[in-house]
Amino acid sequence: MQALVVGDLRIEALDDDASSAVRLLWKGKSNNRHPAEALAPYFREVLATAGRRQQPLELHFEDLEHFNSSTITSIIQLIQDARARGIKLVLVYDHALKWQKLSFDALRVFVKDDLLELRSA
Amino acid sequence: MDSFNFSIDLPVRSDWANVDLLRTSVQNCVTAVFSDIEGCRALAMVTGELIENAIKYGDWSRTEDHRFHLRVWGEGRSAHVSVENPVNGDAHAEEVLETLGWMRRYASPGDAYRAKLLEVAAAAREPGNSKLGLVRIAYEGNCTLTAEIARGMLRIQAELTV
Repeated sequence: MQALVVGDLRIEALDDDASSAVRLLWKGKSNNRHPAEALAPYFREVLATAGRRQQPLELHFEDLEHFNSSTITSIIQLIQDARARGIKLVLVYDHALKWQKLSFDALRVFVKDDLLELRSA
Repeated sequence: MDSFNFSIDLPVRSDWANVDLLRTSVQNCVTAVFSDIEGCRALAMVTGELIENAIKYGDWSRTEDHRFHLRVWGEGRSAHVSVENPVNGDAHAEEVLETLGWMRRYASPGDAYRAKLLEVAAAAREPGNSKLGLVRIAYEGNCTLTAEIARGMLRIQAELTV
């Protein structure tokens, strides 16, 4: 899978056949005015890959410097889409960064079962 | 954060590129003054979210000078961020006031934020109109928010107690 580069944001995909999950590494800053325009189609592609391989999708935010509230909305949409497709979604964050801890602790409101996991790195 | 008086006061062009320029500039400035890195990052996030709202929802049709006014200042153990921008009518401004009133109904900013996340997930609102940014400011920024409308200008102010 190709990386996604949108402005200051770069999402690298780690999806070799030997891995146990499709992994997206978020780097830089997600500060686009309309992040869904690029993120939504990319997420659809990634979910399709994870679905074909019957693997969970892991998003790694540990190296991300910042995201805006519009990006949070896109992540919420991904949570819903992954659940609708029965694909396990794992959001990995750095709990030592207060902003990440607060953001991702709040997203636990969407955890209903094993399909969504929020993991501290 | 330590206790210092400081002030940043700028008439900012309403170009989206200025969101991150100012967010990082504010973060760098306050980081040079204060030892609380997390507090500085929070202040920067608050600045960024308020600026985004000003650019998205400001009325930039009225004048050729498409600028909003940003102030960031500290007094004693409080830090403040204020953004003032022109608005077209009262609709957006009323939505802001409504959101602030809605937040006050919750026991904590965290409860309001979690409720807003669920609302975002459930609603059919167009992207960018959820007011999630304001609620994030209150929760993640640990801020008190106020807003006022006067003479076609909307001013939103966030206060952080440090």
